[in-house]
Amino acid sequence: MLTIFFAVVAALSATSGIGVVVSRRPLYAALSLVLNMLSLALLFLLLSAQFLAAAQVIVYAGAVMVLFVFVITLLNPAREDSPSREPIQGGVAIFLGASFTLLASIAFLAGKAPGRFPDDAAATGGAALGSIQAIGQALFNDFAYPFEVTSLVLVVAAVGAVYLSRGR
Amino acid sequence: MPPLGAFLLLSAFLFVTGAVGVLIRRNPLVVFMCVELMLNAGNLALVTFSRFHQSSEGQVFALVVIAVAASEVVVGLALMVAIYKSGRPMDIDDLSEMRG
Repeated sequence: MLTIFFAVVAALSATSGIGVVVSRRPLYAALSLVLNMLSLALLFLLLSAQFLAAAQVIVYAGAVMVLFVFVITLLNPAREDSPSREPIQGGVAIFLGASFTLLASIAFLAGKAPGRFPDDAAATGGAALGSIQAIGQALFNDFAYPFEVTSLVLVVAAVGAVYLSRGR
Repeated sequence: MPPLGAFLLLSAFLFVTGAVGVLIRRNPLVVFMCVELMLNAGNLALVTFSRFHQSSEGQVFALVVIAVAASEVVVGLALMVAIYKSGRPMDIDDLSEMRG
């Protein structure tokens, strides 16, 4: 059952990922990216990361994509005649990508690495994996300093964006 | 539950798709979207390993990556608006020098 769910969501995610790269119009690429992020949120749910799935939907599919669509409609970039820069460059890039994917599939599927996920119930005595409780404990106990630095990054980005886009 | 390798393979595929997009696309907006795709693929691998090892650290990393990606998008789109205001064409081959 979960495998069928994974297969459907993975196919959706891979298709929309390709759609981002091949769509001629930037708006279509943005819509494909929304689809891709929503399917990744479903995969996060499957991996028992409920809080992260919610954060993915709110931050990516909400805030980031609204920003993208807003800028696309503001700048209204022209439709590209051909999406790739030069045919040779595109061919080389696609060849390299295909060979890397092939190598990755050999390494991940045919390797001797343990492939089974442990049962979720086997989690250690504390809060369940992926719950707000578990994330909060990890974030504010072990990762308090990186958390603060992240907030600093956000402030610097906001100030930088205002500085860059202000009128001259 | 599907095996670990299936999630990692999907993550690798999405990363490669994003990388190919960065290499071949000319519109800087679409290049940004492909970078987002790559960051998301990394997040998927982090969450997969977090589930595999039953520890929250991977999810915390993914949360930090989401925050950094959001700030990167904000700065990048501000740059895009600044380029548009300066009247230059939106083509990264024409924007290859970093002169003000």
